[in-house]
Amino acid sequence: MVQAFAATFPERDEVDFVIVGSGSAGGIIAKELSTAGHTVVVLEQGPHLQAADFTHDEWGIDHNYDMKWSTRQGYPQTFRKSENEEAELRDSVCGYAHNVGGSSVHFSGNFWRFRPIDFMEATVRGTVGGTNFADWPISYEDLEPYYTKVDWEIGVSGLQGPWDPPRSREYPCPPMPIKGSDVLLERAAKQLGLTPYPAPVAILSQPFNGRPGCIHCGFCNGFGCEVNAKSSSMITMIPLALASGNCELRTGCTVSRVHTNEAGRATEVVYWDGESIERAQRTKAVILCANGAETPRLLLMSESPLFPDGLANTSGFVGQNLMFNGHSSVTGLFDAPVNAWKSVPTTRVVHDFYELNPNLGFYGGGGIDGRHPTRGVPLGFGLVSGQIFDGASWGVDYKNNLAYEFSHVAAFDGHTTSLPLGSNNVTLDPTYKDKFGRPAIRCTYMDHEDDLATMKWFLNKSTELMEAAGAIKIAGTYPETGQEGNVHLLGTCRMGDDPNTSVIDSNNRSHDVPNLFMCDGSTLVTSGRGQPTMTIMALAFRAAEMINNAARRNEI
Amino acid sequence: MAQKPLSRRTFLGSVGGAVRSSAIVLTMPMLLAACNRAEQARLSSEKFKTLSEEEAEELEAIAARIIPTTDTPGAKEAGVIYFMDNVLGDKREQELSLLLKGLIELKANVALTFGVAYFHQLEEAQQDQALIEIEDTVFFDTIRYLTIAGMFSLPGYGGNRDYVGYDLIQFDNQHVWQPPFGHYDADYAEKGQ
Repeated sequence: MVQAFAATFPERDEVDFVIVGSGSAGGIIAKELSTAGHTVVVLEQGPHLQAADFTHDEWGIDHNYDMKWSTRQGYPQTFRKSENEEAELRDSVCGYAHNVGGSSVHFSGNFWRFRPIDFMEATVRGTVGGTNFADWPISYEDLEPYYTKVDWEIGVSGLQGPWDPPRSREYPCPPMPIKGSDVLLERAAKQLGLTPYPAPVAILSQPFNGRPGCIHCGFCNGFGCEVNAKSSSMITMIPLALASGNCELRTGCTVSRVHTNEAGRATEVVYWDGESIERAQRTKAVILCANGAETPRLLLMSESPLFPDGLANTSGFVGQNLMFNGHSSVTGLFDAPVNAWKSVPTTRVVHDFYELNPNLGFYGGGGIDGRHPTRGVPLGFGLVSGQIFDGASWGVDYKNNLAYEFSHVAAFDGHTTSLPLGSNNVTLDPTYKDKFGRPAIRCTYMDHEDDLATMKWFLNKSTELMEAAGAIKIAGTYPETGQEGNVHLLGTCRMGDDPNTSVIDSNNRSHDVPNLFMCDGSTLVTSGRGQPTMTIMALAFRAAEMINNAARRNEI
Repeated sequence: MAQKPLSRRTFLGSVGGAVRSSAIVLTMPMLLAACNRAEQARLSSEKFKTLSEEEAEELEAIAARIIPTTDTPGAKEAGVIYFMDNVLGDKREQELSLLLKGLIELKANVALTFGVAYFHQLEEAQQDQALIEIEDTVFFDTIRYLTIAGMFSLPGYGGNRDYVGYDLIQFDNQHVWQPPFGHYDADYAEKGQ
């Protein structure tokens, strides 16, 4: 077992790096730095689950929040649409998995790369008034080698599409076999003169790197993979980090604070261990990879006389510019079984509308893919089945409709842009606390009118596609009054050259604290088109290289 | 295109169907066997952990109108009531208290309208009539939620016995599938796409 070689470090001795969070970014950075010879302690709130722990337990996952955690486990969150409102207690607003590998364990594995336009859209398209829409300090060309590293070290299946940005190497695995829902999408899209192509996914279509190919069980989105075919950092990176002999993974550890000294440098990370005993790990540098909600919360909790508004928050941008990505979904009923509940969430994507025409009068863009309307889960479908096509919600008709619909539906989903706004943010809730006494994550969010217009545009386009696909009944939805939660948590410690309008520099280093780095969804300057994890992972490989280089030059 | 809630007219259309279908059911031996099994299980070994017998009987009767027994098993045969008993005792004090309070109100309404002591003693059409009156309440919505959850969660939680819920929607909980997955991708390769 690789764990047999895992290192242990005394807390009183300085390690080279403490990494908070073992998810998409944390797992990668832990592996890169530990295999490069640095001593690393990874602090993870959740347990170290394995493939054998993962099941098709929809009640446990979706309703008891077994992996996401909620008020049931002692981790409440609150939500409000604007700062004028008092935030309400909610079970889940900012959703993420609490376990080694973080949300890369339970994600759907959609792995679109960002495109060149995503990094310079404010310049090309023009800024949008009242928003913090900005260019990235790096380009697609800067990130391309790291996207390719993700493809090959993490494991991605796909086929270069007509709209895809240039790549330096082919995908390591061929695309997944097409599903019925995507045959319907593909045929409809071609009929409309569009160019659908295989969706890239971080799920293996065939054995690769000692892991098996997908068995098409259908329980990807929200669930852990039972055969390790899903390319989480838990299965691809953490074992290599532990095998290096330089990395100690401490699970069940809840971080409360990053301490800084009078010189303004981070010195130690304070946390409660699995027995709720408070501990502190001394370190030469800290890397926060806790996600777009947890990272800003930790920074805001780490205020001090030197950093009265929160650590690394001279810009005031810590926690701000939260972007969820927009979404829309159009469900069609068909006269033969689609069985969209089998296999991976999606196998085709329509990317012809990556950038909407500016003449429409609003900013936006996105992609459309084919899916099952409720991620293929039976209980979730039972709950909405009556309402989708305006039918009975209980009784015999409800039962009969449900029995037919579950296997006969396909959904064409839109995944779209979100603009960065100061008013959409993560702050510390003044009232509610988690079981350790940490202030609850308070989310304030209202989609920008352009984001709502974009979602509606994609809803209409999906409806057009569904009509072309020959659905007997069609119904669609998008969050017309604004989203009240999401699993994409982007932009809250964004990257930039200007310390007044960004939290970290282009090497993921805090503008304010030289030995503090942030890398996770919070790094993103813009939202992309709805599938951020590939970019978070590429940024993590890049950040690890920059940090390693700086450490070798003694520049941390 | 937004999804709309159930209209009362749509629902009323379904009530007649409910009564007709349930009459057919009694002639089906397989279903009777399932009913007997559930009944025996309740009478013999299984005690409710959270609910009283009376509360369980009422909730089960309501669940049986939400997903009725027709030519296929419904909430009753799925053992939805055992699911409810389990999960209501699992950090769901608010939901439990809401349901118990609602049951008292329901009992009062049933006595007033129909002159009987309990909801489960009503004829099916009367039961549906009583439920239509309260279908917009949180009380009903919570029971609907738990009924559907009990029908389609893994049997380990007490419901979905013998996977009757999964069978109803033709969901096969096997872990390995191979393409083609359905009708529309069956001839995909043949067509050279």
